[in-house]
Amino acid sequence: MEFDFALIVESVPKMATGIGITLQLLVLATIIGTALAVCTVLMRISKIPLLSWPAMVYIYIFRGTPMLVQIFLIYYGLSQFQAVRDSFFWIALRDPFWCAIIAFSVNVGAYTAEILRGGIQGVDEGQLRAATALGLSKSQRFIHITTPIAIRLALPAFGNETVSLLKSTALASTITMFDITGVARTIMAQTFAPYEIFISAAIVYLFIAWFIQIGVALAERRFSRHMQR
Amino acid sequence: MTKFMNVVVSSIVLSFMMASLASAETLRVGMECTYHPFNYRDSSGKLQGYDVDVAKEVAVRIGAELTFVCQKWDGMIPALLANKFDIVVASMSITNKRKKKIDFSYPYRVSIGQFIGPKSKNLKLFNADGSLNLKGFNGVRIGIERATTYANWIEAKVPDADIAFYDSNEAMYLDLKAGRVDAIMTNPMKAFLRFLSKPDGAGYEVVGPQLAEEEYFGIGVGIGMRKGNDALMARLDKALKSMTKDGSLERFAKKIFPFTIHPLD
Amino acid sequence: MYVVVGWLDEFLWGALVVLQIFMVGMTMAVIWGLLGAAAKLSKIPVFSVLASVYTTVFRAVPELLVLLIFYFGSAITLTAIAKLINPDIQFVDIPPFWAGSFAISLIIGAYAAETFRGAFQGVDPGQIKAARSLGMSATHTFFYVRLPQMWRLALPGFGNHMLSMMKDTALISVIGVEEILYTAEIATSITMQPFTMYMVVAIIYLVFTTVIMAIIQVLEKTANRHLESV
Repeated sequence: MEFDFALIVESVPKMATGIGITLQLLVLATIIGTALAVCTVLMRISKIPLLSWPAMVYIYIFRGTPMLVQIFLIYYGLSQFQAVRDSFFWIALRDPFWCAIIAFSVNVGAYTAEILRGGIQGVDEGQLRAATALGLSKSQRFIHITTPIAIRLALPAFGNETVSLLKSTALASTITMFDITGVARTIMAQTFAPYEIFISAAIVYLFIAWFIQIGVALAERRFSRHMQR
Repeated sequence: MTKFMNVVVSSIVLSFMMASLASAETLRVGMECTYHPFNYRDSSGKLQGYDVDVAKEVAVRIGAELTFVCQKWDGMIPALLANKFDIVVASMSITNKRKKKIDFSYPYRVSIGQFIGPKSKNLKLFNADGSLNLKGFNGVRIGIERATTYANWIEAKVPDADIAFYDSNEAMYLDLKAGRVDAIMTNPMKAFLRFLSKPDGAGYEVVGPQLAEEEYFGIGVGIGMRKGNDALMARLDKALKSMTKDGSLERFAKKIFPFTIHPLD
Repeated sequence: MYVVVGWLDEFLWGALVVLQIFMVGMTMAVIWGLLGAAAKLSKIPVFSVLASVYTTVFRAVPELLVLLIFYFGSAITLTAIAKLINPDIQFVDIPPFWAGSFAISLIIGAYAAETFRGAFQGVDPGQIKAARSLGMSATHTFFYVRLPQMWRLALPGFGNHMLSMMKDTALISVIGVEEILYTAEIATSITMQPFTMYMVVAIIYLVFTTVIMAIIQVLEKTANRHLESV
């Protein structure tokens, strides 16, 4: 079994061209997805069925189906319809980048909404009662008490979700995008060396995941600085 | 617990031994299984197509059994080298680049490429005399399947082209119809059969001449196998040559196309 | 829409394959998870370091890449190992079904190891001490005290792992296993109706995940029944 270590090492910089796309997908989808998640969770915890029901259905569908299927549905599925191709949305849907962003953001939105909901529900009741006793209104309680505590509670899960998104960006290679995995598959097709090329790609992902974990750990430290000795 | 483990371990060992013994003469054939009309599954699950017919006939002639293994195109050669199957009968062109890694049989089909594009775009990728017009590629997005001869051709001839790589032939056609790519470069036989002659392809045409440069397309399409299997190769070649002579290849081609598609020499 | 009817039995077969991958993968994932958790909690540094490497790598590398590496690498590695035992063997390979199930089980196993570890650590030490002082052997304590309590704590996380496993089965189509997504791709290539076909796949997965979520709810109720008030 020949194992071309040299090929692994010299392939890592070639993957660099893919890192740009991967990071763009990661950052944009996280931002849009989180914004979507905030709206969704507010709808979800609302007492009005007209708001909470659509949110529940949205979360249920996008957490219950595989990401790969969602991507294929948005990219290939929607393009099947002439009506879609003639519409205004086609400007975005035509481009695989935006199809990927839409698919990833909607997915992040659903998962993060559940994480945020867990965080909100985890806020100690005692804190909220104290706030009421002090005369804070409902919205004041939510903004100044619930939100910071919920964020702190949700951070570890959110960190996991971000790493999860990083892994999902690899699926963009199935819709012609040149992210890290897309570049790896193209190089593999030219050199016929799958083992070495994919291992270099894996190393690149490990590094990015490591950075994400460091970022989340820093954020956790900042949000719990009132609890440290 | 130990007795259970014994059974598990011995059955694993046994199946490995069986694997090495069972290759009495069963050839595992790698193909894409989604490449209409050369190798694909129809709605009843049966494998059909020119490549399938050729493979089955060759097996009869050399006295072997076949098992078919489906594999995505861009991993076809790596999978062959990784021992996932023994031969590749998947419309794989015999190119110098590939010959460095694997051996090929006598060709059983010609290997050509051509561009397909919408009539409305009036693409001028080639000049009137058939030569390449590099300027015509500016602003044009080309769809190509990964790891194909078409990819090699375009990377060599038009290195600055805006290319979108696809994992499958059909995904590429879907995007051509959707307008995500302005042109595709692919096999003209299939394009004619499945697309241009159908209502779906009404607004599309071939752009430029058929390309058959040996450097990129090779001398044709052949059966691929790992290096060092000269005995098997000799038997396959003999079978293919006799199939060419006695008209079997012609028969298989005429099932699908109004023309023959194997090299006539 | 009626074009789906011709492909229904293909999809049903594919759904069966998905279930098989899920069962096989989940079983292996539980094993890796327990082994990983045990290794991480172990006092022997070699084990805990290896386990850390395992969980870090398999939780950070994209599933798609892991699948591709295992698919192409399985034959090479297994043949090399087999050649050590019997030099006459030409090749040893495992079909993509097993390579794929094994790969996803390793991924979910890494997550499960973390969940199980947290759950084991969450078991009240007082319970263990009480069990030992009552004369229960270490093995007895493990199976009758630690495991059931750990299971209750691990259940929510484990439920999520089951859902992830179910959804990861979709990726196996990339290495040629003929399950529902692969069937959809073939059907699309013939019918040219990607939306319809992929919708069928989505609906089938939604059914599976709903069933899993129902099972998790039942399991959670059962595991917590001793805590319910009369």
